[in-house]
Amino acid sequence: MRKFLALSSLAAMALAACSAGGGDTIKLGFIGPLTGDAASYGADTLHGMQIAVDEINAAGGIGGKQIEIIAEDGKCTGADAATAAQKLMNIDKVVAIIGGQCSGETLAAAPIAEMAKVVMISPVSTSPDVTEAGEFIFRNSPSDALKTKAMAKVFAEKNYAKIAIISENTDYATALRDSLVAAVGTDAMVFNETSEPGTKDFRSLMTRLEDAEFDVFVPNGQSDAFIAAAMQQYREAGFTAPAFSQDVADSANLGQIAGEAVEGMELINTSSKLGDTGPDSFAVHFRAKHGEPQSNLSFATLSYDATNLLAKVIGEVGTDGTAVRDAVAKITYEGAAGTFSFDANGDVVGIGYVLKKFEGGKIVELNTVTPD
Amino acid sequence: MRRAAQPSEYMQLLANALIAGSLAALIAGGLALVYGVLGVFNMALGQLVLFGGYSTWWLHQVVHLPLIPSVLGGLASGALMTWFTFEIFVNPFYKHHRFLPLVTTIAWSMILDGMMLLLFEERPRSILPGLKKTFEIQGARISVEQCILILLTLVALLAFAYVFHRTSFGRKLRAVVQHDSAALSLGINSAVLHRVIFIVSGVFAGAGGIFIGIDQNLSPTFAFPLTIKAYAAIIAGGKGNIWGAIFCAYLIAGLEQVLVGVHWFGAFYVPAGYQQTVALLFIIFFLLLKPSGLFSSQSRTA
Repeated sequence: MRKFLALSSLAAMALAACSAGGGDTIKLGFIGPLTGDAASYGADTLHGMQIAVDEINAAGGIGGKQIEIIAEDGKCTGADAATAAQKLMNIDKVVAIIGGQCSGETLAAAPIAEMAKVVMISPVSTSPDVTEAGEFIFRNSPSDALKTKAMAKVFAEKNYAKIAIISENTDYATALRDSLVAAVGTDAMVFNETSEPGTKDFRSLMTRLEDAEFDVFVPNGQSDAFIAAAMQQYREAGFTAPAFSQDVADSANLGQIAGEAVEGMELINTSSKLGDTGPDSFAVHFRAKHGEPQSNLSFATLSYDATNLLAKVIGEVGTDGTAVRDAVAKITYEGAAGTFSFDANGDVVGIGYVLKKFEGGKIVELNTVTPD
Repeated sequence: MRRAAQPSEYMQLLANALIAGSLAALIAGGLALVYGVLGVFNMALGQLVLFGGYSTWWLHQVVHLPLIPSVLGGLASGALMTWFTFEIFVNPFYKHHRFLPLVTTIAWSMILDGMMLLLFEERPRSILPGLKKTFEIQGARISVEQCILILLTLVALLAFAYVFHRTSFGRKLRAVVQHDSAALSLGINSAVLHRVIFIVSGVFAGAGGIFIGIDQNLSPTFAFPLTIKAYAAIIAGGKGNIWGAIFCAYLIAGLEQVLVGVHWFGAFYVPAGYQQTVALLFIIFFLLLKPSGLFSSQSRTA
């Protein structure tokens, strides 16, 4: 029921966004999963973008022109994101796009945006492949290549020399595994297995794991269901070595279903407190309007920042795609998530990582980690 | 960690195979009976498995009923849903052609998938969150819940064997399996029997779903792989032979565990990604040698 309400409120928002149009507006596109398994990312990022646009419009818009959001459903798949990108660029003629959210969406929409010379900023996609996606493609969430360097740094500090990893066979998880191998070296991976998506029975792998000597176990899943099952069977098999995971494990739901199995597990992700800095911060405005975020507040904050950044740039240089690209590449922007800029590949600089830990069923943030 | 002693490692693999096999047999057994008696493929089976599990989760974690009533409630709602499935998507069609329900139940499985996403959301759910208490038998670690699953499955199979071969109800069943019309002319109400068999298969499926929800976790996209594995067992076991299907369910599940868990020839491990593929390849290879299945016979024996 909650999902249905969320979907219908999104639909209502999309309708409202459409009816606000007409005549002299500046159109910004949105591509993200509004339906399907990943719809929670899409809801949070669209809400973040909507708040930014409402604030700008209330303050008079960009040079007197109101901003209009045109939201398209990328369904977390490349094919749907490509269709959405074609529509936004050829029919709606948007000035720039916030999206995609899933890495698969961004990678599929990127060539189309390159051809049309339209800037895309993704607040969520973290696949290392997005780095090379093109000159008009930016993201203000850091690449997984950087995340695994941060993981390697933490492993070195904690003397985790031997690593056992079980990965889910999806683009995201295998890319993360590969860059982790690159960061720590092949020899450090004493146990490296990949299971089919949706696997829930890891018992034979756990039996084999008893033969390996390892310091840390990395459940590398694309979904919290995978990580929950792996962690439960890991602890039930009697292993006591610590566990360490990535951003998928940054899920309140994981603590609920896996309970004490994930207690003490550490992970690295961007801070979920991005934008949650005080009584008048973005987080307060977000919660007042949309309640608790469906996945993670930092997704909404980064989407809010990306939208404001685009509005600022368009206000300065106008709506020409190449001019917008050049200005975005040069900007150092002070947003709700902190001060950040983009490197030559369009990857964000300045959004850091935080080491987090499951304590008493909740995720607490320990300290920031800056990869070397 | 430690170099595990060899015997205990094999005991653990055996325990793993028994756990996975019991779950598979529970799901495939009812399905084999339905195929044997009605000659019908029920493609919504995996969804019925999940529905039983999710109902129990809802009763236990949302309504906060104690575990036992929740499990009973889950079984009952599984039975109701299966009955509904039979009346709407199977009963009106299977007399015309026994392949019609193949299409209608696929459609129903998609509707159920969407319904469960809306009702229970896409996040994973666990009926008993957290760690289970485990203990060691002969070097194999196993939880209380897993022991109960293995024993209950055995009891259910034995009870079914008794009913099937030693009671008049069982004789009627076997008569319907051998010749539907002939049984009808002898005064056996086969329409009622069909309904009962179909619902019983749903209760078994629901029991499988409840175990998954207790031992692992439930996610709404999990249904189709369950259906496929149950069908592999039925086809490999000799279509319509219920004991063959149950044996093959144990066999496939055991193979999957052993394939990945054993250090083959002291030289290499099979990567976990091939777990399902290799087991099913084995079945295909076997069917090439004996196309009618492992335990086929001239007449259907259910």
